[in-house]
Amino acid sequence: MVENDAYALLAVFLIPLGTAVLLMLVPSRERSLIIAVTAASSLAMFAVSLYVFLAYDFNGDQFQGVKAWSYMNDIGLLGEEGIQLKVGVDGIAAAMVLLTGIVIVPGTWVSWKIQDRMKDFFILLYILTAGVFGTFVMLDMFLWFLLYETALLPMYLLIAVWGSTRKEYGAMKLMMMLLAGSILIFTAIFAIYTEAGLGSFDLVDLYAVDFDEDFQKLYFPLVAVGCGILAAMFPFHSWSPDGHASAPTAVSMLHAGVLMKLGAFGIIRLGFQMMPEGGEFWAPALIVLGITAALYGAVSALRQDDMKLMTGFSSVSHMGYVMVGLGTMNVIGWTGAVLQMFAHGIMTALFFLLIGAMYDQAHNRDIPNFSGMAKQMPIWTVFFVIAGLASLGLPGMSGFVAEVHIFIGAFRAYPVVGGLAVLTAAITATYLLRMFSQAFFGEFNPRWSELKEITYAERAGATVLAGTILFLGLWPSPWVDRIATTIETTIPGVTL
Amino acid sequence: MEEVWILPAIPFAVFVVLGLFGRILPRNGDLLAVLGMAAVVVLVGFVLVDFQDAFVDDFFAPVAGANTYAFDWINIGDGFFLIEFSTYVDAITMVMLPVVSFVALMVLVYSIGYMKGEQRYGWYFAALSLFVSAMLLLVVSGNLLQLYLAWEGVGLASYLLIGFYWERQSAAEAAKKAFITTRIGDVGLLIGIILLWRVTGSFDIQEIIHAAEEGAFGETYLTIAMLFLFAGAAGKSAQFPLHVWLPDAMEGPTPVSALIHAATMVVAGVYLVARMLPVYDEVLIARDVVLYTGLLTAFMAATMGLVATDIKRVLAFSTVSQLGFMFVALGVGALTAAMFHLFTHAFFKSLLFLGSGSVIHATEEQEVGKLGGLRKKMPITTLTFAIGSLALAGIPIFAGFWSKDEILHDLEKYGPLWAYAVLAATAGLTAIYTTRLVLLTFFGEPKDQHAYDHAHESPPVMTVPLILLAALATVAGLFVYQDVGQAFGFVGGIGEVVIAHGEPHVFELDVPFAAGATATALAGIAIGFMYWWGDARRAREARGWAPELHSLLERRYYVDELYQAFINYAVLGLSSVVAWFDKRVVNETGVDGGTQLVGFLGHRLKFLQTGRIPNYALGMALGVAALALVALGTS
Repeated sequence: MVENDAYALLAVFLIPLGTAVLLMLVPSRERSLIIAVTAASSLAMFAVSLYVFLAYDFNGDQFQGVKAWSYMNDIGLLGEEGIQLKVGVDGIAAAMVLLTGIVIVPGTWVSWKIQDRMKDFFILLYILTAGVFGTFVMLDMFLWFLLYETALLPMYLLIAVWGSTRKEYGAMKLMMMLLAGSILIFTAIFAIYTEAGLGSFDLVDLYAVDFDEDFQKLYFPLVAVGCGILAAMFPFHSWSPDGHASAPTAVSMLHAGVLMKLGAFGIIRLGFQMMPEGGEFWAPALIVLGITAALYGAVSALRQDDMKLMTGFSSVSHMGYVMVGLGTMNVIGWTGAVLQMFAHGIMTALFFLLIGAMYDQAHNRDIPNFSGMAKQMPIWTVFFVIAGLASLGLPGMSGFVAEVHIFIGAFRAYPVVGGLAVLTAAITATYLLRMFSQAFFGEFNPRWSELKEITYAERAGATVLAGTILFLGLWPSPWVDRIATTIETTIPGVTL
Repeated sequence: MEEVWILPAIPFAVFVVLGLFGRILPRNGDLLAVLGMAAVVVLVGFVLVDFQDAFVDDFFAPVAGANTYAFDWINIGDGFFLIEFSTYVDAITMVMLPVVSFVALMVLVYSIGYMKGEQRYGWYFAALSLFVSAMLLLVVSGNLLQLYLAWEGVGLASYLLIGFYWERQSAAEAAKKAFITTRIGDVGLLIGIILLWRVTGSFDIQEIIHAAEEGAFGETYLTIAMLFLFAGAAGKSAQFPLHVWLPDAMEGPTPVSALIHAATMVVAGVYLVARMLPVYDEVLIARDVVLYTGLLTAFMAATMGLVATDIKRVLAFSTVSQLGFMFVALGVGALTAAMFHLFTHAFFKSLLFLGSGSVIHATEEQEVGKLGGLRKKMPITTLTFAIGSLALAGIPIFAGFWSKDEILHDLEKYGPLWAYAVLAATAGLTAIYTTRLVLLTFFGEPKDQHAYDHAHESPPVMTVPLILLAALATVAGLFVYQDVGQAFGFVGGIGEVVIAHGEPHVFELDVPFAAGATATALAGIAIGFMYWWGDARRAREARGWAPELHSLLERRYYVDELYQAFINYAVLGLSSVVAWFDKRVVNETGVDGGTQLVGFLGHRLKFLQTGRIPNYALGMALGVAALALVALGTS
């Protein structure tokens, strides 16, 4: 990555922000104009994020495309550097930027179906997206947190206004729990700032500070739990199934696909990189919580009838793998954790896209009510089966690449945890195949003969996601090289 | 031989083309699939010729190019964690390749006739190509993780093809059962692979074998690892207690049963154990587990085959039983015998399945209770089916005799006597149920006139594969003889082909022993004739002797019921408890309860704000007094 690529990083979150502002100027009755603007914007985001990912040179520096613009300095407690707009990515962030760039494309396309206040929906969705992109590329702790919150807050309105079923309850619960997490992160951020005493929020400078060990042990859990809530860490996961169940399609996709990864990303950025000794001390706790979540989510999913609730619990289970991977403290497990963040993001986005496409027509998503859907919606079924196979860790699909790293990393650290993790994959197969055989196969239930095959926009979106699943599953080295090198060379305390 | 990766690549390309464009291709692209497969068969011939160079002075030595590394799939820390795409060709591979490619070609040709007019015709050929691709990749894999990838790939293809008629709920359920049951075994397989990697730092099979022989592992550790590995093999090869999926898998189209559930995929477990046999030789406890699992399965499945009434299910039980024979051979370390039986079994069992498919195609009936007398209407099918049955029963000249004789011989030499007795009895049972199946299907009087009237001989596209396979089922066993081997360019017979290490195994026909085995088979056939010849009156009477025993066998030893009960009560019960815990404790008590508590406190505390000045004044006064007291106390 050359120095000027900093502008690409800047662009990646200014595009959605600019689009949101632009949309405010467009009259809401101009639907086709809104569609044109969002189509162009989504493709631009995809192109820039793909560029960022490919341009990242894994043999180069840790952070690339670094550039800082002064924002606020020499005031009060702020020192010479103070708060700056500083961008830069490492291999992990580059992968996450690409993930967001991929998910936003189908997320935008499927939302053109929305009849009610589509313009407002897109304004909020793009502000959220700007927050997500910003968090991944920001190297200033203060603005990092600001953008992190920017990604969360629109969620409340998006669910409460455009959601379904128990939308007020789901939105409120999600918001309250995530804000509780934010309070913990906020506390930790200012503790870190004052303890370091640099007068600067620059993450790179802060990483160089050797914090007192007791300080690290005390404040690491604050970050881990605060960000962990967003990553649906057990036992703070309960917003996730309800929130997903009530959110509109694009929001579920973005939320489960990208936002939950923000939580795990925060644990890496503010937790492990900032406080390595604290991280090492608490890693066993992460493993225990992670494997508990993996098993707990999978076993709960066995008994869910609502497809979205099942996918929600499945997400809890899969994000549990991420915590297991981080807790192993070795490069293989960590690589698996980041790969899982990516793989799960794509796969869950596909799940929610498909469930949404069906729910919009049927207004029902209880598995026992369906039967033989493969007859009525064959293309929909094919995509759903691909997502399901990726989810249960079939080799050749993205999920396997991530999971095999996590399993092996876990076996290196704690063989029993590794064994339980492999077992979880079998439970995952059970609940998914149960849904397949009940809802997709068997005799067709004529009650649904009115349902239509998914639209072309949805097909195109699903193709993008399914293509990514297969690409990562068959040729993982573009991801593995970037992620593993970053982890191996820059994460303190993580060894081969 | 370095280019052996082309073999799986061809059917994979066919799968991609048919999967994407099958609808617009002429005849849905079935001929493309057949042509691709024929190309693979030809190429296997070239590999075979090339393989001759592997013999140096009558002895197998891996030559340059036997082990090829194509590229690194994943590489972390400069080879610290390395997953390669590599191929390895040795004698074991060389037995598998002709079996897989030839049977696959026969099945594809046969399917053109069998599947004619089915909906999703093109998808059928696409899925079958996917299967062949994964199966070929499996047998040429040089490392265990690549093998696992292919292993799951054949599982996926099996799932898709068992569920081919997914409109039938029973087919959908059978596909699910097959996938989940084998998946439980695969948990063990993956754990085993990772345990082996943990010590050696390599997935490469030859490196692992080398490390095990050097004593790099602790004995207990290696035993555990190899038992986990065997769990995967037992799942795929339908060994007790993971055998339950195979009889149900007969819901798939019959050619699929012939290819996947008789000749190729189900022997993947045998292949895996054979491939890792040098490691099993280091840990005899694990090898004994292989032996006794195989023995138990062989016997149990044969008894269940005695009472099954569905022509395909009888064959399925027979397959489970014959796979048990192969594991018994591996359990006493007789690699040659196991691979030889795998070789002959693939031909005669796929022949029997395709024969039964011919019957089903003609009569649209697969219950033996409704068949009978078909020999007059379907002469070719009857003759070829009879040849397959003789091979299965173990009558001399036919293929099955030689390989079964080898297994019994080795078991007698290296195993306990009682195990030999059980397996010999099982061989007798095999002859009985085979005879029963032939008599009920092709002889006697037609039991269902409608099905009989409907019957006709199948078209040549189906009978030609039958005839070719029947020819092989007759002569494939003769490969044991050195002269035959030499005629095909091998220095010796099958013994020299399948030799991983140590002395080449030279076949010697032990005449008294073979006579005993033949007598057992003949006795079995005689018993079969006694009970099921004509109107099978004695068989019906026999049912009355011990009805409990009969229903025990008919209900397959209640294993399926046991699993169902376990799933209903234990798994779903646990799931209900966890779901309840999540809903009530975590969610309603923890999360909602927390907010309600805050709300309740707010509701209570708001009464402090009464809005009356005297109340506030009193509060202030009390506060001042309290502070004064504190100040006094501290000073």
